[in-house]
Amino acid sequence: MKKADKIAYDKDYAAAKKDGKPFFPYAIYKDTIIAGLAILAVIVLAITVRVNIGEPVNPATTDFVPRPEWYFYFAFELLKIFKNQNALTPVIMATFMVPNILIILLVIWPFIDRGPERRIWKRPFGLALAVIVTGMLCYLTYIGASTPEGVAKGDGIPVSGLEGASAAGAALFLANGCTSCHMVKGVGAAGPGPDLTNFGAKGWDNAKMIKWLQAPIAPMPSYASLPPKDLDDLATFVNGLGTKYK
Amino acid sequence: MATKDIGPKNELQKGLGAAADFVDERSGVKTGGRWLLFRNIPAGTSWFQTLGFTAMALFGMQAITGIILAMYYKPDPNTAFGSIAHITNEVTWGWMVRGMHKWGASAMIVIVFLHMGRVFIWGAYKYPRELTWVTGAILLMMTMMMGLTGYLLVWDQKAYWATVVAVNIFAAAPILGPYIGDILRAGPEFGPDTLSRFYSIHMLIIPGGIATFIGLHLYFIIRLGISEPPWAKRALRAQKDEEDARRAAARNRKAAIPGSVSFPPAWVGDGQEVSR
Repeated sequence: MKKADKIAYDKDYAAAKKDGKPFFPYAIYKDTIIAGLAILAVIVLAITVRVNIGEPVNPATTDFVPRPEWYFYFAFELLKIFKNQNALTPVIMATFMVPNILIILLVIWPFIDRGPERRIWKRPFGLALAVIVTGMLCYLTYIGASTPEGVAKGDGIPVSGLEGASAAGAALFLANGCTSCHMVKGVGAAGPGPDLTNFGAKGWDNAKMIKWLQAPIAPMPSYASLPPKDLDDLATFVNGLGTKYK
Repeated sequence: MATKDIGPKNELQKGLGAAADFVDERSGVKTGGRWLLFRNIPAGTSWFQTLGFTAMALFGMQAITGIILAMYYKPDPNTAFGSIAHITNEVTWGWMVRGMHKWGASAMIVIVFLHMGRVFIWGAYKYPRELTWVTGAILLMMTMMMGLTGYLLVWDQKAYWATVVAVNIFAAAPILGPYIGDILRAGPEFGPDTLSRFYSIHMLIIPGGIATFIGLHLYFIIRLGISEPPWAKRALRAQKDEEDARRAAARNRKAAIPGSVSFPPAWVGDGQEVSR
């Protein structure tokens, strides 16, 4: 804003204040009514939609669907979009780039849009940005809200050729909630983790997979608490997906 | 003082009045309070401008319900879940306080976002209120961090694993990420100290931060005054707009006719073209 604009604004606002009304009671009564309604709404919700208690934490079993509060759904949905470890959709986009770009933009916005114009229809860039970001957040929240809480497990993983270690691995895959984040031939959630149907094509050996399971790249949780034999069975199963077990 | 004989006759009233005067003489609280309450705000101040106060009221409600919950909650992995069950099932009105705290968190997020939307659409973050916006943006992020840290305290499977994933997201950030992850988890793995660390962050660190920034936010609002709706057209601005338009028109004429001399807007009357 130019100096002349600033002076004009200050003058204008001083005039507005001079012609104004006292804060008490003209603003405070509106504030009290709306705040009272908001608190009333919270009380009504607390009575009608009772809070419940889930299962107690058990770090040994990972048979769970990680689900944050609704206002973080967008972040989890971002993970589902940027879940592939390739150049176009790296995980870092969802975990770091997009959230931080939004945060920085939010904080420095007044220093980007410095013109004297306050009417929204005369600020097309700001309007477009607000509509796009709000629309994106609402859409991702909606997708997150409509994702089912549980994952249908059916009769197991529909792949053939499982025996011994790999069959045990498939059972562990289901029992440890891997399907909460990974899909194999249509079984399991479509994210945040990548589809593992053809994982075997990567040609990992069991040692590499066990190392991964013990210390994976975020946001995947560590499975270091599983016994070594279980880890080996899981590795056998996952490393053969799409090659040995189709 | 001369006003002595026209004051209240009641001894108690007189005493209270004297006490108030004593405090005011030293702190200026009466004068300051009066200035704060009766200072003028623009007449056009609208219902949309109640959302900030509402967010603050909800924060107050969260503080009160949170304090009550803290009287019963035990931030220990072995007893946390049981204490939540105790609050929900046994403590008188416990389910209600917990319900209000949980729904209050969602309501606060909604109201804070609406408040931000109002400020954005009205362009109320512009000169001189840029720093009010910055403090508000920090308040928004702290409010979301409250949701993140409070979610784990329930200590059920859904919350636990969602928080494991969320902390992993923080830890995945380049350079500082691993340190942030370790600070949040109180170590490289989720352990017994993680819960009490989240409890401390949720109960002490962020609420302290929010209270401080609400103070700053309010200071800016009171110092700079609440913004006017952008459609409030007062005489001065209308006059300035008109003048700008006239100047622009004069500039256009000057550009259209090479070598022409334009007159100051005041000389150009009746919509007549004046050029040589």
